[in-house]
Amino acid sequence: MCRFQSILTGICIISLLSGCAQVRPWERGYLARKEMAWEVDPLESLLNNHIFFSKEASSGGNSAAGGGCGCN
Amino acid sequence: MATNPSPSLIALSATALALPGITSADAPPTQSTISYKFSNYAEDDLSRSEAPFGDLERYDIDVHQFQFITPIDSSFSLHIDANYESLTGASPWFTSKGVNGDPIVNLSGASGIRDRRSEFSIGTKYYLFNGSVGGNIGYSEEDDYRSSYFGLTGERHFNNEMTTVSLGFSYSSDAIFPTDAEVFNRVISEDKRSTSAIISVSQIISQVSSFQIALSLTKQSGFLSDPYKLKDIRPDNRTQIALTNSYRHFFINANAAWHVNYRYYHDDFGISSHTFDMRWYQNLRQSIQLVPSVRFYSQSAASFFTNVDNFVKPADEYQSSDHRLSAFGAFSGGLSFVANLGSWTATLTAERYVSNDSYSAYKVSQPSTALVRYNRISVGLDYTF
Repeated sequence: MCRFQSILTGICIISLLSGCAQVRPWERGYLARKEMAWEVDPLESLLNNHIFFSKEASSGGNSAAGGGCGCN
Repeated sequence: MATNPSPSLIALSATALALPGITSADAPPTQSTISYKFSNYAEDDLSRSEAPFGDLERYDIDVHQFQFITPIDSSFSLHIDANYESLTGASPWFTSKGVNGDPIVNLSGASGIRDRRSEFSIGTKYYLFNGSVGGNIGYSEEDDYRSSYFGLTGERHFNNEMTTVSLGFSYSSDAIFPTDAEVFNRVISEDKRSTSAIISVSQIISQVSSFQIALSLTKQSGFLSDPYKLKDIRPDNRTQIALTNSYRHFFINANAAWHVNYRYYHDDFGISSHTFDMRWYQNLRQSIQLVPSVRFYSQSAASFFTNVDNFVKPADEYQSSDHRLSAFGAFSGGLSFVANLGSWTATLTAERYVSNDSYSAYKVSQPSTALVRYNRISVGLDYTF
């Protein structure tokens, strides 16, 4: 049942993605702006990930984990 | 129905593709960038009702971050990161019951704790026609902790570069050697390993919006307890899974970009969490930007969390009074001011973070003491040449 749900979810995601209207390269001016990047300020992202990692139990989800720390 | 593009459209496409960043985030850099950021975050002191004895002062941390990114040739880039942190203050040592029966916390080492952390990593990326592959290695060292790690990444574009699939893998090998181990009967030397994998799919939705979904799996093994707590016994394996959804939208009339992210997390310590954050990048003039941000986080407690240490419990039974394993919620809000001055970009950020068990979206059966509140201020400078 779980596998069936996973396959169904995958099919739905692929269907949604393929349903997106084509955006030609010359139409991507707004998407190419710096403030539209997934990580606008890499140092800010690294710092936040490090601080939240040391204050909360959750981590991961946006990049593969780097080095650990003895953050007590 | 397929149609042949006109020569003028092909020429326009070629011009557009030559613009930095117009193809995708993994286009090779055309210039070198050197960045520096200084941050200070200071945790609020505990109140006397939370810690009736000893010092109340918690961590005060300075962070220096350096980054250098440069193209090596038309296909390769080099990335160098270096960090230096110094901290002073104290962290919770053990918990007990106060005179009214509520849990109280005792801080370790009074205000004499001082530690430093240095980290260095170097990586490269090779850019292909429709994707990229990369790798990095890194090393970090503290007075009582050492970590060596490496990572590999790869991504490929599909669907006329509307869709990007990325894969990442990393491995970390850590050594733990607490200070004053013999004096306080701490472990002398232990190790820990972390293996992490991530897959993400990014999709352009329209001329002004894009979406990304990412799934990460991390497996930790080895010594996962906190050696500085008087009694802290955790499983020696932990599997963590996180699913993140990110959305970006540019509002043309407002000349602003909206970022929203949601993450669901679960691990086999029994902890689940929700993280929701938003940022608004408001362009005020050509060279000035204001970026307000808000974040909400809430987690459930680990199955073995206790808010009062039980010192008669057998040593082979898991327990921890670490507030980071309790059920709580946290709000944070910040504001950044960004000024672009030709080749220079200056950033000033202020942030406030407040965690409390009453903010929790999960049931709180054992409220923790010592939940963290802090202020952060950062100053950054980038130079592109």
